[in-house]
Amino acid sequence: MTGDSATAAASDLLSPEAILHRRAVVRQASRDTLRRRRIAGDAARLACGLAVLVALVPLVALIGYTVSRGVKGLSVDLFTQLPVPEGVPGGGVYNAIIGTLIIVGLAALMAIPVGLAVALFLIERRGKVAATIRFTADVMSGIPSIAIGVFAYALIVVPSGHYSGLAGSFALAVLMLPIVVRADEVAMRTVPDDLWDAGRALGVRPSRVVRSVVLRGAAPGLVTGNLLAVARAVGETAPLLFTALGSQLLETNPLHPMDAMPLSILSNGTQFEPNLQTTAWATALVLLAFILILSIVARSIAAYMTRHAR
Amino acid sequence: MSARVQRRRTTPLYALARWGGALVFVALVVALVVSLVWQAAPAFRHSGFSFIFSGTWSPDQGEFGAGVFIVDTLITTGVALLIAIPVGIGTAAALSEFLPRRLAGPLSIAIDLLAAVPSIVVGLWGLLVLIPIFNRHVGPALAGIPLVGRLFGGPSLGTSLLLASVVLAVMILPTLIALTRTAFQGVSVADREAAIALGGTRWQVVRWSVIPGARSGIQAAVTLATGRALGEAIAVSLVIGGGVTLPHSLLANGTTLGSAVVNFFAGAAGIQRSAVIGLVVVLLAFTALANIGGQYLLRSRASKAPGHEEFGPALDPGVVTA
Repeated sequence: MTGDSATAAASDLLSPEAILHRRAVVRQASRDTLRRRRIAGDAARLACGLAVLVALVPLVALIGYTVSRGVKGLSVDLFTQLPVPEGVPGGGVYNAIIGTLIIVGLAALMAIPVGLAVALFLIERRGKVAATIRFTADVMSGIPSIAIGVFAYALIVVPSGHYSGLAGSFALAVLMLPIVVRADEVAMRTVPDDLWDAGRALGVRPSRVVRSVVLRGAAPGLVTGNLLAVARAVGETAPLLFTALGSQLLETNPLHPMDAMPLSILSNGTQFEPNLQTTAWATALVLLAFILILSIVARSIAAYMTRHAR
Repeated sequence: MSARVQRRRTTPLYALARWGGALVFVALVVALVVSLVWQAAPAFRHSGFSFIFSGTWSPDQGEFGAGVFIVDTLITTGVALLIAIPVGIGTAAALSEFLPRRLAGPLSIAIDLLAAVPSIVVGLWGLLVLIPIFNRHVGPALAGIPLVGRLFGGPSLGTSLLLASVVLAVMILPTLIALTRTAFQGVSVADREAAIALGGTRWQVVRWSVIPGARSGIQAAVTLATGRALGEAIAVSLVIGGGVTLPHSLLANGTTLGSAVVNFFAGAAGIQRSAVIGLVVVLLAFTALANIGGQYLLRSRASKAPGHEEFGPALDPGVVTA
């Protein structure tokens, strides 16, 4: 009974007259309100345009200021000399550049293999365990970096009895790990299931399928994701504050306190002396350029590898 | 299904690597939480609930109340989001829907790259450039506005909750724009055409199809931005001034949970050190709540939407915009 009437109603709705009628109603309503809707649309677009301006002004000012102040401090000395005490002209941040390279390099050595292993775990396993780890990784990528610094302090600096670059690397590795895990997983998800199955159908060991098929297929995404994670770690200050500590000396032994570019910007930028502030701006410019190059390289490598994939 | 077949045939070394990685990861997370809570426990025992509800932080008297820091953290994050969310969504809409492609393309790439600007650089800019400007111009100008001016009462020092909020807003804006834009662009052509077919203007297409369709993406972006703003320590510590009393206006100095850790950690020992780590635990709880809330919203929506991948969208901007 009800089914019949529903069918009847549907056929009523679908009859040509009904369709034409509805179309006329919509058209009329559309015409009647067009003026009002146009005005609303123009207002909304104006608001969006204003938003672009409001967003761009501080961002352009920030970059422009860093570049214009930083360029004045750029010199060969900046890259080759050690910091000088307050009041002495010249000096550079050679030790901070080397320190950043060592600390971030070690952090990448720790985070990238572990991250890849966790991502493979997430790919191969479905179910509660994997879902929990994935959820934890997402939540962990939002942990304040200062908390990670305090954790690394408690775990490494306190037991070992002294600040060290290695403790800083550990902190940065913890910071990078969730980013690496999710980036690797997303990259490997792009490899079609058919390719996995094809590999398996050949009777090859699973580890070999992963190595020859999955890692190769996901390579662009893997490289991009990991480089972006490194770029993120390069600019972090808070995890290094209570671990690598900073230093005025050239230190290449990661078991000792080390300087890093963000730490050097912080300590020089908070001084009153103009010479040191200029050094801070120049260091900020170098750091910015370094991160920018890393990000651009990351994206271009992905584009290149995708284009030349066999 | 295929995973099950594979698991039986897996080689020991490969299985060891995967399980080892997963174990290391879980151990790290557990160690992080347990170690921080363990170290903070003496201070929590010492102060009890007044650790969160008392506004008196005076280590010399043995009083540890994080109330003021919590209030300041919520104020700066709130004001930063109030500035960044409308600006960010508006810019994302302009980039993805309104601006000509020749202009929107390069702008989008530039903003994606700006998302990688380290917070210390934003902090340095706030410290050396914005403090004098806020001190001389912005503070007095805002205080002069009728009615709203009350929010900006008191002497204009330059360093202030307001400046910290502005610095945070600038810091989170590129990420917010990049993620929201990606979400807008992910809305299908069919959804847009539905709005066009109903006679929608360009704005109405955005209003009816694009914004609702991008909702989970916008939520993810706001969640990430909130977490960043709550947890940023160093940039904020450079521009917020370090007051430890309840703020009377947005121009007052303040201390957030993060900047308190920066300011107090190095000089603290014994129960004081424990109390500072207690601040980290409170901060951790706040960011975890914000994140878990965001993840939950995301997933509940994602699971309702047909065809959505089980693993959900990744939250990191680098991953999404790559």
